[in-house]
Amino acid sequence: MTSFSSTGRIATTATPSPLPAIRRRRLQALGIFCGFAAGAWLGGAEAPIKVVNPDISPVTISLIMVCGVFLARWSVPALIRGTSHVRNDVRQAPHLIVWAVLAGCMWAVANTLTIYAIRNVGLSIAFPLWNTNSLLGIFWGFLLFNELHHAGWKRWLGVLGGAVCMFGGATLLAIASSHQAAPGKASLGILAALGAGILWGTMYIPYRKAYLTGMNPLSFITFFTVGELATMTVLAIAYRGATPLWHEIVGARTVLFWLMLGGFVWVLGDLFQQYATKYVGISRGIPLSNTNQLWGLLWGILVFHELRGGSQTVYAQVAGGSLLMALGALAIALSSATEREHSSWQDAANREGQRYGVEGEYVHAGMEGREMTSKETSGRDAGMQSDAIANARTLLDWLLILGTTALFAVLAIMAKLPHMDIALGWAISLAVAMLALLATCGIALWRTTRFR
Amino acid sequence: MSQAQTRSTGSRNLFRVIVTDIHFWIPFTVLVGGLLLLDKLR
Repeated sequence: MTSFSSTGRIATTATPSPLPAIRRRRLQALGIFCGFAAGAWLGGAEAPIKVVNPDISPVTISLIMVCGVFLARWSVPALIRGTSHVRNDVRQAPHLIVWAVLAGCMWAVANTLTIYAIRNVGLSIAFPLWNTNSLLGIFWGFLLFNELHHAGWKRWLGVLGGAVCMFGGATLLAIASSHQAAPGKASLGILAALGAGILWGTMYIPYRKAYLTGMNPLSFITFFTVGELATMTVLAIAYRGATPLWHEIVGARTVLFWLMLGGFVWVLGDLFQQYATKYVGISRGIPLSNTNQLWGLLWGILVFHELRGGSQTVYAQVAGGSLLMALGALAIALSSATEREHSSWQDAANREGQRYGVEGEYVHAGMEGREMTSKETSGRDAGMQSDAIANARTLLDWLLILGTTALFAVLAIMAKLPHMDIALGWAISLAVAMLALLATCGIALWRTTRFR
Repeated sequence: MSQAQTRSTGSRNLFRVIVTDIHFWIPFTVLVGGLLLLDKLR
């Protein structure tokens, strides 16, 4: 069927044939795998930041990290698929630029709020409060995008019970890993933490909207980061003043590498989170990514000796919290969407496609994790053509890749590692584990979806 | 209609569709609330 959408663009909404069960299960398993890989890389991003002198203001730290994030979010997609895909995606769904920039602005404000939350109430109270974002994500997923519709009570129990379990585990871990006493201004700190949770939980609306209409995560993040960097720059200048901010950045040149590396590592985690959101929805993808707290704790305990000499109570809290988080994540991982639930997602995708005039074939190809093939070219030819496009790199792509590599090399030469007691063996082991996850999950994404 | 005019009409339509989408106002309102909270915390 062909109709005119609200945008005046022609929307083709041919009823899709249902996704074969084997393909649906494969995409679900991939999404869950991406959720766990996201946890590892988002948690690992905390490691480089731990070596940074605490004298630098939190807003400046956040801004420098976002600069690393910005570079990674343009160079990684250029390396994986080339930026020509971004142009194609924008041509198909231009409205998603607005949604991506909006999501980026929300991320920056939420991130700044967490700094105030930690300062006012300490990590032990702040972290579980902003971690409620996954519960809010489940709510929005159910209300706006038909997630968990026709899912049956067992899956409801798995997802909601798992998220609550993870929330409990996160609370225990945060209490155990916190050494900060809660100073005054407690109510403002709690408000800041809750505000960050609400902002992050609601930020998943643009995420899901983008992926339901078929956008590639690699394209979405390139625009997301524009909102992120612009908001963070405005906030940093407003809070610190342009000249003091510049002096602080110049003074921190020996740690710029570590901060930007933290941002780069974070982007890889976020990319997996985006793919998890795409293939298992926000109700499952976000809680799974929240296992990052476990990885952050592993880095803290094993590499930076954070809980050395702690009481038995602290170790009991760590063991209990970790077990609760792992059980919660397992419950969610085992609650994959049924065929009926998946068809409800497709209804939501059709609604979005029709509203914004996105070509039906583009929407369905995106949901099914495959390249859109032209009707004129069929079968093997179309597949070969898609692969050829996927491998195409322009001069701009190479400039982005080489420019980012050169900048990181210069910053690495200027960098100094502070005198800290670091367990190098554990650091290498954890880094190898993260790289193994990156490689296996990356290969699985390539084989199953060609990074669609 | 010239290409420039078509593009301008397309952008206007797109903007209209976005601002009439209730989904847009939820994150937008939350973002404004976050900025106000941040201002209060400074």
